[in-house]
Amino acid sequence: MPDKLTYQRILQEYLRDELRVLNAHLPRKQKPLSDLLREEYPHVVCNDGSTYLFKRKELEYLASLIDSDEQQALLLPMLIELSSDQGEAAVILGEEVEENIISKILGMPVTRKQARITIYRPQLALLRKKLKTTTQYIFSPARY
Amino acid sequence: MPEQLIKVRPTKIELIRLKRRLSLTERVQKIVKDRLSILTLEFLQTARETVEAKKKLVDEFPEVYKALSLASGYHGYLALEKEFMATEMNLKVAAGSRNIAGVRTPSFELGGTERAVRGYSLVDTSSCVDRAAQLCEKCLETIVELAELQRSLELLGMEINRTKRISNALEYIMIPGLQATIKYLYMKFEERDREEKARLKRVKVLLQPG
Repeated sequence: MPDKLTYQRILQEYLRDELRVLNAHLPRKQKPLSDLLREEYPHVVCNDGSTYLFKRKELEYLASLIDSDEQQALLLPMLIELSSDQGEAAVILGEEVEENIISKILGMPVTRKQARITIYRPQLALLRKKLKTTTQYIFSPARY
Repeated sequence: MPEQLIKVRPTKIELIRLKRRLSLTERVQKIVKDRLSILTLEFLQTARETVEAKKKLVDEFPEVYKALSLASGYHGYLALEKEFMATEMNLKVAAGSRNIAGVRTPSFELGGTERAVRGYSLVDTSSCVDRAAQLCEKCLETIVELAELQRSLELLGMEINRTKRISNALEYIMIPGLQATIKYLYMKFEERDREEKARLKRVKVLLQPG
């Protein structure tokens, strides 16, 4: 049975581990959709050195939504930022291409302010259903 | 449950440290709660998809068996087995991983199952065999999809449990403990101040002449 101090230390270790794990999966570098479509196994390398695999079907679905110029401009995976100060909202970091894609998938116009597209949790669920591997969550501790 | 005080020396520097620790813990709690809500959202989504994939598989299997029975009835079991000997192919499954809010889940993608020429003689076989082969290929895709979904569901479930434990530990043990200790230190300092005042008054009385 650990004493009180050991228990506190265990909890502190847990917290440290939790923060380390949160953003370890972020890609070192995002790749354009057009490049990924040419790869045999479309993937990106993450910060922790692991490989993140994209589903070809999803990439083809995205390619069907936009033209070839936009395919060059669309960087994948798209990052969804979460922070508690936004309540139920999530922010997608992106430019015009991302805005186009998201509005097409959700079937409604979305607003973009300073390269940030704000959507709400029910819409997030719909987006994640369609784009499972081409979107990733990012937790920004600075905003908490 | 009463809050457990953390054993610290009652000094100002310890108070500053505890306050810092409390603010960090509160920030982490927010992150953990957000992560928990995302994991739950993903878990429910994966559960729904798993049920759909299972239903699809349950619907597809009888179709496959029916088509195979028809084909074997039409051509005879031995003739069909002879044809199928030449149809063996290496399956290509691209296996990787994807990350959902810190949970690494498997990702499988079956490639090259649909072939124009399947290997059996088109002269000696009928459309029954074609249909059976087509349905089998479809079934294979669903099996791979289900494998991915089921493992993801298990991993997400385990992570939700772990995150819930952390969230509860923060909410019910760490934060109340830190708050209680900070309160205790404040009380200790106030008590010390009062003692100091009383002592000074006593000294003043003693020093007064006559």
